[in-house]
Amino acid sequence: MVKFENVSKSFGSVKALSNVSFEVGDGQFIYLTGPSGAGKTTILKMILRQVVPDSGKIYFDGKEVTSLETKDVPLLRQNIGTVFQDFKVLPERTVSENVEVALAVSGVSIDEWERRVAHVLRLVGLTKRHRLFPNQLSGGELQRVSLARALVVNPKLILADEPTGNLDWKTADEIMDLFEKINKEGKTIIMATHHLGIIKDFKHKTIHLEDGNIKT
Amino acid sequence: MNIHIKTALDAIKRSPFQAISAVFVLSLTFFVATIIAVLVYGSNMAIKHFETRPQIIAFLKDNIKDDAILALKSKLESDIRLKQVNYVSKEKALEIYKESTKDNPLLAELVNPSIFPASLEFSVSDLTLAQTVIDEISKEAVVDQVGFTANLGGEKSLGEVIQRLKNAGNYIRVGGLVFVSLLALSSFSVLLVIITMRMATRKNEIEILSLIGATPQFVRSPIVVEAVVYAILGVFIGWGLALTLWLYLTPTIMSYFGQVPFIPRDPLTFFLMFALILGAELLIGLIVAFAGSLVAVKRSLKKAR
Repeated sequence: MVKFENVSKSFGSVKALSNVSFEVGDGQFIYLTGPSGAGKTTILKMILRQVVPDSGKIYFDGKEVTSLETKDVPLLRQNIGTVFQDFKVLPERTVSENVEVALAVSGVSIDEWERRVAHVLRLVGLTKRHRLFPNQLSGGELQRVSLARALVVNPKLILADEPTGNLDWKTADEIMDLFEKINKEGKTIIMATHHLGIIKDFKHKTIHLEDGNIKT
Repeated sequence: MNIHIKTALDAIKRSPFQAISAVFVLSLTFFVATIIAVLVYGSNMAIKHFETRPQIIAFLKDNIKDDAILALKSKLESDIRLKQVNYVSKEKALEIYKESTKDNPLLAELVNPSIFPASLEFSVSDLTLAQTVIDEISKEAVVDQVGFTANLGGEKSLGEVIQRLKNAGNYIRVGGLVFVSLLALSSFSVLLVIITMRMATRKNEIEILSLIGATPQFVRSPIVVEAVVYAILGVFIGWGLALTLWLYLTPTIMSYFGQVPFIPRDPLTFFLMFALILGAELLIGLIVAFAGSLVAVKRSLKKAR
């Protein structure tokens, strides 16, 4: 699903990634771990092509991401569901509308919206809150909105950047349960986290990064 | 409702004062543009009126035989510089006089055809030739004197009369164009500022949309829709106010200009003229809205990606 081949990236004199290579297969759940500044978020941004590597190649679903033209980037991102630590929900739209935006962006027919939104909101447990605005939701609920938005377009891959970073342990566990459920349905997940409790409780393959290098 | 239209309308509702200022400045621009468009039309019609009506009248001496008059008429008709040559007999001249004094029949009763000279009326194809033609016709044996039909204030020749009208028309055209251009520029700037502000307030939203795969077209659509809403409202308000003003002033203008068709006299032509102005303004409004929004969005999107 995702393949990194000798990828390096520097921001000025700071080396963010150094000759990083790894592969994530279809349906796998991978943790990217390591201290702050280790390069976890840079890897996720590179898959989304927010950041372009200085050298090396990145493949997503068999296609090279690094050589994509700017006009093709939106299509790449439409095939990847993204969940962020700070949720990144649209504050002036309701829960339903936040999810619908992803469908509109992907060009899904409006006739399908209601069914698909209802399905993902049921999956993340927000059916009763679909008319509420983000400022009326808790942190855990906001993360569920973010997850619902990522799932509604039925992406091949889900990237999660510290999705439990802003949540208490109980809510974090609930969110992780959701990720587990989604993974069992066949979705590939790459999650950046430094939450050791989660890594211990929900066991999956881990890629540990330090100073831009993979440590085995 | 389409998601882009909903986003645009939400944005308008959230910042009503920005919306009001955009619509106000656009309305003002299109109000002035409509007024000036009608003034340009009016000045054109006035010039056309004076150019096409019989411009020169050669009054004939009394007791001239019909043969001599017909000979002169034929001569004038064969002159390529002249057009619309028309003979007005003494009797016809009395009829015209009676028609023009029909409100006061006593005046008509006091005169008889003998006091009106017969005349030959005609126009020139090129006004610069008018004075030469007048000088030539004055030398004809059957001609008593030659006069102009238009005189707006001490002009010495017909050319000066027309030139005065043309100058006035040019002042309206050039002055109007400059004024409307300045207003259009200020509308464009206001639109640009408002859209840039809108983009700044939507910075986070644009970043999120971009991350979930929104195309630049998807991001800019609500902004373009919003600008188009402002433009359409501005055009209709400005045009509507100008139309109301012209309808209110029409009786006064028609009575002031008399026979000069400064504005169309029949309602159909009047409203057709305003419909054409509306169509042109909608087109210009849409161009301003598209150009303004695209310029503002392009810069903001570059920063977001």
